[in-house]
Amino acid sequence: METDSRKSQLNAAMTANARMLRRMLRQERGMRRHSLEQIEGDGTSSQVVLNQDEMVMGRGADTQIRLASKRASREHAFLRLQGTDCLLVDNDSQNGVFLNGFKVHSAVLRDGDVIQVADSVFVYHED
Amino acid sequence: MAAFVKFWGTRGSIPTPASWTRVYGGNTSCVEVRFEDTLFICDAGSGIRELGKNLLTRKPRPNPLHLMISHTHWDHIQGFPYFEPAYLKAVQINVYGQHARDNNAYRVLSGQMSSDYFPVSFKDLGASIVADYLNDGEKKIAGVQVRSFPVNHPGGCFGYSFEKDGRKIVYATDNELEIQAGDFFPDEANAGPLRRVPDELVLAAQEADLVILDAQWDDKDYATRKTWGHSSCFSATDLAIRAKAKNLALFHHDPESTDLAVDQKTEACRQRAARFGSDLKIFAAREGVELKF
Repeated sequence: METDSRKSQLNAAMTANARMLRRMLRQERGMRRHSLEQIEGDGTSSQVVLNQDEMVMGRGADTQIRLASKRASREHAFLRLQGTDCLLVDNDSQNGVFLNGFKVHSAVLRDGDVIQVADSVFVYHED
Repeated sequence: MAAFVKFWGTRGSIPTPASWTRVYGGNTSCVEVRFEDTLFICDAGSGIRELGKNLLTRKPRPNPLHLMISHTHWDHIQGFPYFEPAYLKAVQINVYGQHARDNNAYRVLSGQMSSDYFPVSFKDLGASIVADYLNDGEKKIAGVQVRSFPVNHPGGCFGYSFEKDGRKIVYATDNELEIQAGDFFPDEANAGPLRRVPDELVLAAQEADLVILDAQWDDKDYATRKTWGHSSCFSATDLAIRAKAKNLALFHHDPESTDLAVDQKTEACRQRAARFGSDLKIFAAREGVELKF
């Protein structure tokens, strides 16, 4: 009985902690700004603010970050806001996604990261 | 069928949360190796906490979980009490020993949850935690061939290889590659020949898609820390080159290493591999990065 009581106390504490963490993340997320600066490829030097839960990079007409290169897949990669972080995810594209020169499947981005997708190169900024 | 590897903790010795470890991360050793729904967890350092939270969001949720502990030094077990799936009844966690009579990892994971150290006891965890074992260092687990091999660390330590459908991932942390008599050391100019490394390790890492190797220091730092059980990144690079591995993750970053220092170490290793004409791709293991092979 005592064990059951301790377990339910622990579960309640974990649930409350998770709720508080989600609330804090929502607040902090509102304060953090994520953006991509294109330094090579079409649209050089254009700045894209990552302000949606999910944005798509690719050659397709419906993408938020459009790539002209034929080496880019239609929906090549996703950029997802997760908590206070921005996650880059390769959508099983033909030519892959490179983070600081190394091919990755997904990665939590950090300020100054260089992302290469097909013939386009971006720098990720976080402020 | 692809293999996925995700880094949840890459730091050695002690968690190091700091502005200067923000890129590579401050959590201690924890690496996820996944073949379809079969999930292996290499070590339960503080990085396992985030892995646990992430696992709760996955559909379907991998079960059972296969926990391979390299050795039981603190930085490889300290996250387990904070691993949320361990509190869930529906979860099974298999903790592997090297042979049928080896329950050391299970015993130490349990021991660190005695009331002197943690408020919840091991027996009160909701999950079914099973002391499983390899058959003298080898076992096929859900179609994945798992092998363990001893590495050089005070108190003993094991590396693991995982193979399925032509994909091979090797995890070998906390391994000191000792400098052999006559080898060029310290190689501060990065101009010396390839170092000799143990044949057994070359064999274990042979033609792996990815080798994750202890590379805690550069030559200069290793020179003053011999016998501590960790390697120079140049020796790790030479091992991966000799094994003809395709990719090398420099792992177990020193708690004193800044992100910049890790970048410099990585670049020096890349130059070294290029100098030997190797196609080896080298990167520094980084929290939150996932690779597909």
